[in-house]
Amino acid sequence: MFRLQGSKVLAVDMTGDAVKAKNGSMVAYDGQMAFKKLSGGGEGLRGMVTRRLTGEQMTVMEVRGQGTCWFADRASEINLVRLQGDKLFVESSNLLATDAGLRTGTTFTGLRGASQGNGLFTTTVEGHGQAAIMSDGPAVVLRVSAQYPLIVDPGAYIAHQGNLRQSFQSGVTFRTFLGEGGGEAFQIRFEGDGLVYVQPSERNTIAGDV
Amino acid sequence: MCDVAFREINSKMVEATVLPGQRLFSQRGAMLAYKGDVSFTPNIQGGQGGVMSMIGRRIANEATPLMSVEGNGTVMFGHGGHHVQVINLTGDTLYVEADRLLAFEGTLRQGTMFMGSQGGVMGMVRGQVTGQGLFTTTLQGVGSVAVMAHGGVFEVPITPGRTVHVDPQAYVAHHGDVRNKLSTALGWRDMVGRGSGEAFQLELSGNGVVYVQASEEKL
Repeated sequence: MFRLQGSKVLAVDMTGDAVKAKNGSMVAYDGQMAFKKLSGGGEGLRGMVTRRLTGEQMTVMEVRGQGTCWFADRASEINLVRLQGDKLFVESSNLLATDAGLRTGTTFTGLRGASQGNGLFTTTVEGHGQAAIMSDGPAVVLRVSAQYPLIVDPGAYIAHQGNLRQSFQSGVTFRTFLGEGGGEAFQIRFEGDGLVYVQPSERNTIAGDV
Repeated sequence: MCDVAFREINSKMVEATVLPGQRLFSQRGAMLAYKGDVSFTPNIQGGQGGVMSMIGRRIANEATPLMSVEGNGTVMFGHGGHHVQVINLTGDTLYVEADRLLAFEGTLRQGTMFMGSQGGVMGMVRGQVTGQGLFTTTLQGVGSVAVMAHGGVFEVPITPGRTVHVDPQAYVAHHGDVRNKLSTALGWRDMVGRGSGEAFQLELSGNGVVYVQASEEKL
């Protein structure tokens, strides 16, 4: 089972079961553990083709054994997400670990992906179980409901779950072209019903410069 | 000797009380602020134990510039925005890399240990793989030490029959009666470039505590 030890270390107690985690993110373990490399983007030949085409190749390892295993990555803050049959969309660089029972895949994000500075594809996690996602600084979870849509800076977005539609909106005006933009030229708009995870830090995006 | 020499102000700063007749050692330049009448003397010898120890440390490349702190007042220490962990020793020996030492009490005996003395050639190989080099610093006695790490630190107890494995890059320090060896989980997958990134691990067994940081970055 996943539990947080402080805000930057994930401890997983295992009794013969397995977890999938980012390659090389184990910092310590006791008991007996075996590490095996897997590849993200789905299983089999289809997954391999997807990885090649999308560049969304998170290298994942499968950890199996008995005891406690601790994971951490470059002192990033860790957030636990519980999935009950719904789908989590997360950037592969922000995904630390998932229960082995959860399916991971890759989806096309279009223009939104490009604006986040992360490429056109994103990772999906689906099924029943827990996942651990990383953020630069403690993340906030924002609820989106039918009457309250949410607009997020693409650089601060890390993940979302639930039944959400996303659209891309731009605040480009003539001022932007004069070099007087407010630095918030592009935003992602979420509508529907679900949760959005936002970090208190912004990745470098094109939108941040204009 | 007062019980708590170092008080954690927040996760990245410690405050120490200095009383006449008591001495602290700290990494040179790690003082942030002080109150009272405190003097800082650069310690050319880089620690305790006279000239021979100094030569030893120079050769061992474990000679982090230290200063001794004396007087009457309180001093705050911190360095490079790193997390600071206070470790209290009650007579046992702490093994730590010299550049991770922020400050320690003058009651502790400082020494240098040759990695080869624990496990011979494999000990030396271990030092190279973990980036610790051929030598490491030891502190022995009763007192407290402030150690730096990247990200937060958590401690994992080691008891007989409960062996702990640590990623060499995330290892910070350990104390107690602990045997330390490098274990490899190298398989054919690593040879064909499909390794899990966990090929080398430090295997610690015995009785004591190991400190692990929440990051795989060296200082």
